[in-house]
Amino acid sequence: MNVSEPISAARQRRSFLSPGAYVPLIPPVSALLLFFALPMGMMIGLSFETTLGGFGLSNYQDFFTDDLALDGLRRTLVMSGLVAISVTVMAYPIAYFLARSTTRWRVIVFALAIAPELAGVVLRTYGWLVILEKNGFINDTLISLGLIEEPLPLIGNMFGAVVGLTHVLLPFGILSLLTSIQGIDQNLEKSAQILGASRLSVLRHIVFPLSLPGIMSSFLIAFTLSASAYATPALLGGIKFKVLATMIYREVLVLVNWPAAAVMATVLLVIVIGIAFFSTRAENRIVNRLHVR
Amino acid sequence: MSSADTADIQLVDVTKSYGSNLVVDKVNLIVPKGEFVSILGPSGCGKTTTLNMVAGFHEPTSGEIRIRGTNQVGVPPEKRNIGLVFQNYALFPHMTVAENVAFGLKMKRKSRAETEVAVKNALRSVHLEGYESRYPKELSGGQQQRTALARAIAPQPSVLLLDEPLSNLDLKLREAMRVELKEIQEALGMTFVYVTHDQEEAMAMSDRVVVMSGGVVAQEGRPVDIYQNPVSAFVADFIGKSNLLPVTKVDEEKGKLRLTLKGGTVLIADPSASLAPGKIELCCVRPENVQLVQPGETAENVLPGRVDKMVNLGAHVDLWVDVSRGCTVKAQIPVRRLQNVDVGSEIKLRIDPAAVQPLAH
Repeated sequence: MNVSEPISAARQRRSFLSPGAYVPLIPPVSALLLFFALPMGMMIGLSFETTLGGFGLSNYQDFFTDDLALDGLRRTLVMSGLVAISVTVMAYPIAYFLARSTTRWRVIVFALAIAPELAGVVLRTYGWLVILEKNGFINDTLISLGLIEEPLPLIGNMFGAVVGLTHVLLPFGILSLLTSIQGIDQNLEKSAQILGASRLSVLRHIVFPLSLPGIMSSFLIAFTLSASAYATPALLGGIKFKVLATMIYREVLVLVNWPAAAVMATVLLVIVIGIAFFSTRAENRIVNRLHVR
Repeated sequence: MSSADTADIQLVDVTKSYGSNLVVDKVNLIVPKGEFVSILGPSGCGKTTTLNMVAGFHEPTSGEIRIRGTNQVGVPPEKRNIGLVFQNYALFPHMTVAENVAFGLKMKRKSRAETEVAVKNALRSVHLEGYESRYPKELSGGQQQRTALARAIAPQPSVLLLDEPLSNLDLKLREAMRVELKEIQEALGMTFVYVTHDQEEAMAMSDRVVVMSGGVVAQEGRPVDIYQNPVSAFVADFIGKSNLLPVTKVDEEKGKLRLTLKGGTVLIADPSASLAPGKIELCCVRPENVQLVQPGETAENVLPGRVDKMVNLGAHVDLWVDVSRGCTVKAQIPVRRLQNVDVGSEIKLRIDPAAVQPLAH
């Protein structure tokens, strides 16, 4: 009886979807094909176009032999990795608090955690400029306290970009971890505690392993969104800090080298899709190992 | 027996309030070593809050909780050395049965050899040998229940708290587990504090029952005493079935009480030791103590009446008998005694004066 259940369920689902049910799908699907899939295909096609008008891998050859381009690629991966780590590490305690608190602080912290999403990326980034720049809040404070003599280089480098992106992407990390931690029965923590586990042991043996899927998805979201972010690395990383997104912009609008831009975009796309694919598989393996579903 | 010296758990004037909401009000309780004590009450009576305070998840607003003579206020749950079984079992889904059961010993940094022996013994006492490497989701409800029990007893706590552990099982399994739980408790000699809203469970397993209502202890005693001598209408109604009959007038006569019921019927009752006659407002009669008068039989407390409703339950029949203008008495009569009785029949009931329990409220 149990074995036949999924089959009959599938049969039932099929019988519900009459041909007419597909009609409402036509506008969104054609819009997606026209404005998303088609340009994407054109871009990928463009990346294989040679200067003589033929097709070949020469653009890719150019990219993978250009040290500056490879530096940009490496920088993109390092920056995205650092952002993913710092987002997940900072989001975890906030998400845990939000999942477990029953006081009115919960609402306040939730509002503060999600509030950055209400301001635009550019606005938030300029906010960080004010704080991090040479004569900004942090440098002024440290100098007036006598802790440093010269202002620290807080923007125009990797540090500035990572700080800005962490702030922008923190709510995504919080939301994906919150869902995961909320799914952990609180009685598990109580049981562990009464069996002699300290608060730290409860986190280590119970909450952390059971929230691994949430940790994975927080990491994944932060990584992929950082890898394709443009405004924050451009403004806080500065002109010398080149990542794929800012390099693509420059190729298209300054150098007008469309095939080169298409190669970079395709490389970025492949990386993001690849990471999403492997981390989804890893997440499934973790879920299976945890025996939670 | 129930002196403070041999007590495993003692509650002294324990009170818990959330703002102006008084959840537990000056509860005093002594749980002697090795006893099976049930805290019984409807939802919202404060029983689970009391359990959480003993476990250390909540601190009492005032009063003392002593475990083996030491005040526990301020001691965190992980330092109290007690076991706890939840209604939903709360097994760690990412650990096998053996890992679940070993968890408490691991946290207490016991040696590997000691842990192995303890896990084996715990699984044996709940009859779950051979399931060591299963994961919780691969177990049936009853097996999960046993695993939770094994996990709680493996570190050998002196006290085991159980929060409605049988409520998620089906009826047959629940009844079997009642017997088994009691056997396990006796074999281990462990003190069990069992929280439940199911009076049958409490009656079946406990050495002592504490009935709670509205945050206070309504009655405390051996199950049979509570059943036979409930002190209030609440307890009488909550434990088993009962007729609660309003008394309008009380007279004393030849060492017995004459209780005039609403509608004018008079019942003779044995005098109450604890209750002044002027305070009696109700009386409680258990349906199984209401008997059918056989032809030619004479007895005290004979009530003529008309059968309003009959429910045949196989071994016995529940009768609702109107004895006088709106005063209905429920009776539980063995089927074989009910010849030629039907709805509308005029019959005579009798109630032994010893079975009439006067109550104040």
